[in-house]
Amino acid sequence: MIGGAGLVDIELANPVDTFAGANGEASAREFGTLGYSIRARKPL
Amino acid sequence: MADILDLVDLDELRKEVREKYREVAQDPTAEYHFHTGRAHALRLGYPATPLDQLPEEACEAFAGVGNPFFWGGARPGERVVDLGSGAGMDTFLAALWVGPAGRVIAVDMTPQMLERGRTLAERLGLANVEFREGFIEDLPVDDDWADIVISNGVINLCPDKLGVYRQIHRVLRPGGRMTVADICLERPVPEEALRDIDLWTG
Repeated sequence: MIGGAGLVDIELANPVDTFAGANGEASAREFGTLGYSIRARKPL
Repeated sequence: MADILDLVDLDELRKEVREKYREVAQDPTAEYHFHTGRAHALRLGYPATPLDQLPEEACEAFAGVGNPFFWGGARPGERVVDLGSGAGMDTFLAALWVGPAGRVIAVDMTPQMLERGRTLAERLGLANVEFREGFIEDLPVDDDWADIVISNGVINLCPDKLGVYRQIHRVLRPGGRMTVADICLERPVPEEALRDIDLWTG
């Protein structure tokens, strides 16, 4: 999807358990939800 | 599966999101389905410095889901656009990094968050920050303006994610970069759940 917008060099990193200990933890676990850092670049 | 844009009433979703984050802006220390505040940001991997330069009121309404600065912060003189800036913690960090030669445009659709951000920017003496009301699917920013686009936990709240990424592409200068944080799911959300506006925000 990010590539479909014309961005390149797409990278995902640093998965974090965003909702651990939060009230929404159970719902997050149901879908395997993690937070990620995402980067990409607009071509020259 | 049906197109997600046909499953969701966008106006209703925006109303729900706006209401949820109005609550966060006005009572950031209340209980939500997500974590908030400085301690949460540090747990997500935010750099202790310059976060330690921001007062508590600039951090307490932070409701991000990851660390958009994992590969480093903005650089002096850069132009930054913050999508869904909320109360502005990431905006203020970017403003500290880019310094007086740089600029940060923070875009949000929730009036109470914008008001909070503008008040804090003035109190912090950050003249290189501007908060603009708008939708990230239709950014109030010129083409090719930004060196870097940031956001945290916002794109997941937009049904038209491709549209958002196209806007990011539009406002970035050639060679510019996007560094965002957002949630990714290992298992798909059933169609009936996608139709439930309440599940998008909590």
